[in-house]
Amino acid sequence: MSDAVLAFEGIGQDFPAPGSQAPIRVLDGLSFEVASGKFVAVIGPSGCGKSTLLQMAAGLLKPTRGTVRHRGRLIDAVNREVGFVPQQAQLFPWKTLSENVELPLLLRGIAVAERRQRVAEALASVGLSGFEDYYPSQLSGGMQKRGSIARTLIYRPDVILMDEPFGALDAQTRMVMQHDLQTLAQDAGATILFVTHDITEAVVLADSVVIMGQRPSHLLATIPIDLARPRDVFEPFRNPGYEAAYDAVWSVFRSQINIRHRAPAMEATP
Amino acid sequence: MNDLVATAEKPADVTVSAKPRGDWAHRLLVLLPGIALLAFWQWSSGRLIKEIYISKPTAIAQRLFELFASGEIYPHLWTTGQELVMGYGIGVAAGILGGYALGRSPRLARIFEPYVMAFYGVPKIALAPLFIIWFGIGVGSKVALASIMVFFLVFYNVYAGVRGVDREVVNLALVMGANQRQLTYHVYLPAAAPYVILGMRMAVPYAVIGVIVGEFTSSIQGLGLFIHEASSTYDPAGVFAGIVILLAFVVGANAVTGRLERRLLRWRKPSGQGPSDI
Repeated sequence: MSDAVLAFEGIGQDFPAPGSQAPIRVLDGLSFEVASGKFVAVIGPSGCGKSTLLQMAAGLLKPTRGTVRHRGRLIDAVNREVGFVPQQAQLFPWKTLSENVELPLLLRGIAVAERRQRVAEALASVGLSGFEDYYPSQLSGGMQKRGSIARTLIYRPDVILMDEPFGALDAQTRMVMQHDLQTLAQDAGATILFVTHDITEAVVLADSVVIMGQRPSHLLATIPIDLARPRDVFEPFRNPGYEAAYDAVWSVFRSQINIRHRAPAMEATP
Repeated sequence: MNDLVATAEKPADVTVSAKPRGDWAHRLLVLLPGIALLAFWQWSSGRLIKEIYISKPTAIAQRLFELFASGEIYPHLWTTGQELVMGYGIGVAAGILGGYALGRSPRLARIFEPYVMAFYGVPKIALAPLFIIWFGIGVGSKVALASIMVFFLVFYNVYAGVRGVDREVVNLALVMGANQRQLTYHVYLPAAAPYVILGMRMAVPYAVIGVIVGEFTSSIQGLGLFIHEASSTYDPAGVFAGIVILLAFVVGANAVTGRLERRLLRWRKPSGQGPSDI
């Protein structure tokens, strides 16, 4: 409890339904914690409110019920101590790559000299040195994603929230990005809350996997993944113990997919 | 950090090779219909249609030369120029401020949007006589008329642009640490810039229409008055000479705003996406 960076306590969330129907209950009594320096992956079926959790942690959305605490502090406004890596890279198209990466430092009033140095470091760490003056539209999808990650790492946020960050990438780029993220996270000792729908990705990257159920979703299980690091993301099955870890997650997750098969749920994404 | 990536990801091709020869051919192609039209006009004047109705290009050029050589046109140009610049400037400024305010605040928008819509529907030309009464027959009434026509165009473009800013981008900026002022400067204004510029480009001809209609209605000096007098004295060459000057102004202003657009929106260049040109 004491070393928890993020603590979700009895989270419930309703979203207004179209027309005069009763609001849709998306999250129903969900509690878990993210410990300092840990990589926590959240998986669950589509529309179960995974992304909603991240929005709450960032202070962009107030839960209908329950509270989110960041190092004990109740989050009731925009939380500037987190970093957010969205599904799409969302670099600002009107700024060059280096201006994009520099922006958080600029907004936080850090001096020019330090900004320059940290931008160069951050770009080097994601392998984008030499592309400083390119606009995002001139970069490939993978490079934009790297830029997006550099923009988050540069201000050393206390927690990094990632919302299916590699979902839109091709399979090869994706593996490379997973590999690099693992390295970066380890080097920085970062705390990461990572939403995905890919069990392999969750198992190969995370220290623990939080599994959410169908809407209205609650916590099905939190499964620790005790694989040695660094892990091989290119051939995950080569990691000793990988199969057992995957099975542990899959055995819980499978039930959700069966339920889904029998009674198709509504496809309204919040 | 990874060789695989360095080779796999190359930046998109951004260098568009300039082809001067193709450029000249293109320009010639653009000029061709205009030259053909002028030639036909010149030929048909006096042959197919009486010259008193349509004048002819050489006579118009002659008249233009006289107007500038004698200096007769300069007071008119000065007056109309002032009206255009002031009317356009005020209209654009008010449009950007109003559009931005309503675009940012849904509450303000709910209250004021219906009023703006209602006034938008009023035919501005019908206001011309009223404006003459309110602001006199001098520069004021023309500036008012031009700026109100410009305002609505710019307003709606900016309003749509600001409202269309991706919520996720705004949220990202907030989490990164932006305050309201920084949000305006780093997110909303640049995101809305394509719309602001589109509105500004579209508004140029409307400023001209506003000013000329005002001058037609009642004025002491100005190009509109000059054209009006020429037409009431059966002087088609004078009318066309006035129109040519207005045309030159619109083309010139369009070139200036086009330059501004390329400058401010250079980030959009390679893909060329964004609001469509109307």
